[in-house]
Amino acid sequence: MTGGSEHELIDAAKAGSADAFADLVRSYRVRLLRFLVTRSASYADAEDALQDTLIAAYRYLHSYDSRWRFSTWLYRIAIRNAGRIRSQNIVELADLVDEEDDPLQHCIRASETENLWVSARRILNDEVFIATWLRYAEDMSINDISKALDRSDSWTKVNLLRARKALDAEMNGNNDGNEAYG
Amino acid sequence: MDKLTKQLKRDAARIDVQVSDELDRRITASLQGITPQMPERPPMQRRPPVFWWASSLTGAAAAILLIVMLNSRTELHDTTIEPKQMSPVAVATAPTIQWKAESAMLTGPLQQELEDLQSDIKKAEEKVKRDIGL
Repeated sequence: MTGGSEHELIDAAKAGSADAFADLVRSYRVRLLRFLVTRSASYADAEDALQDTLIAAYRYLHSYDSRWRFSTWLYRIAIRNAGRIRSQNIVELADLVDEEDDPLQHCIRASETENLWVSARRILNDEVFIATWLRYAEDMSINDISKALDRSDSWTKVNLLRARKALDAEMNGNNDGNEAYG
Repeated sequence: MDKLTKQLKRDAARIDVQVSDELDRRITASLQGITPQMPERPPMQRRPPVFWWASSLTGAAAAILLIVMLNSRTELHDTTIEPKQMSPVAVATAPTIQWKAESAMLTGPLQQELEDLQSDIKKAEEKVKRDIGL
C-alpha cells in the first residue's frame, strides 16, 4: 500500500466508508494480532483486543493526526486495549507458565527452538517489552515508539539499550537469574 | 543487522497467528454497524426564556442598589465637616523662614563677638598711636 492510497483510504473512512477502513487495516490485522498474542492471557483475549482496537480506530478516526504514522496510532490503541482486557482478567503475563494457557506458547508450538520473545516477556517489564517489540518486530523509529507509549525519546533509548543487554545475556546463556529489566 | 536483532525478527515472524474467517466476519460486522464519530463542535447553548427575565431583574436590582448606595454616600459626605486645608503658599514658604531664623540664631553671637573684637583692635591701635605721639 502506498502512502498516497493510505491517505485516500483514511479520508474515505473518515467520510464513513467501512469498506475503505477495512481495506486500510487489512495489512495491519495479522501484525496487530501477533503483537496482541504476546500481550494477552488467552488467544480469545487477543482476538477480542484486535476487534476492539479496530472498532475504536474506526469510531475515533476523526481524531487521527496525519502527522503520526497510521501504524503508530493503531498500535497506541492496541496497547491500551490489551492492557484493559488483561486488567479485567487480572493475569500477569510472566505467570503464564502453562503452555496450554499461554497463547504465545500456543502460537510457537511448531517451532523446535526456544522463542526469544517468551524470554523477553519473562525478563522485561510490560512497557519495555512493548518498546522492544515495536523496535525489532515492527521496525518502528525511536520517535514513533515514544509516541505509541507516550514516553520521552530518551526513556525509549535507555530502556531499549537495557533490554538489548538483558536479551543478549539471555540468548548467550549469561543471565544471572530472573531479574526484571526496565 | 546484528545477531540479536536477527533473532528477534525471526522469532517474531515465527509467532503463528491467523485472522480466522469467524474473526474476520465479526470485525466486518462490527465495523458495518458503527458510525464514525464526527469532530465534536461546542453545541450552541440556547438559554431558556426565563433566563432573560432573571437576568433583567438582577440587572435592574443591581442598578437600584447602586443608586441608593451612591445617594446615601453623598448625604453622609454632606454632613461631615471638612478639615481646613492649609494654603499651598503657606506650606511652601514655612520651611524657608524657619531656616533663616535658625541661621540667624546660630550666627548672631559670633557676629557680635567679631564686631567686639574689631572694636577692641581699633581702640588698641588708637592707644598705641597716642602713646608714641603720632
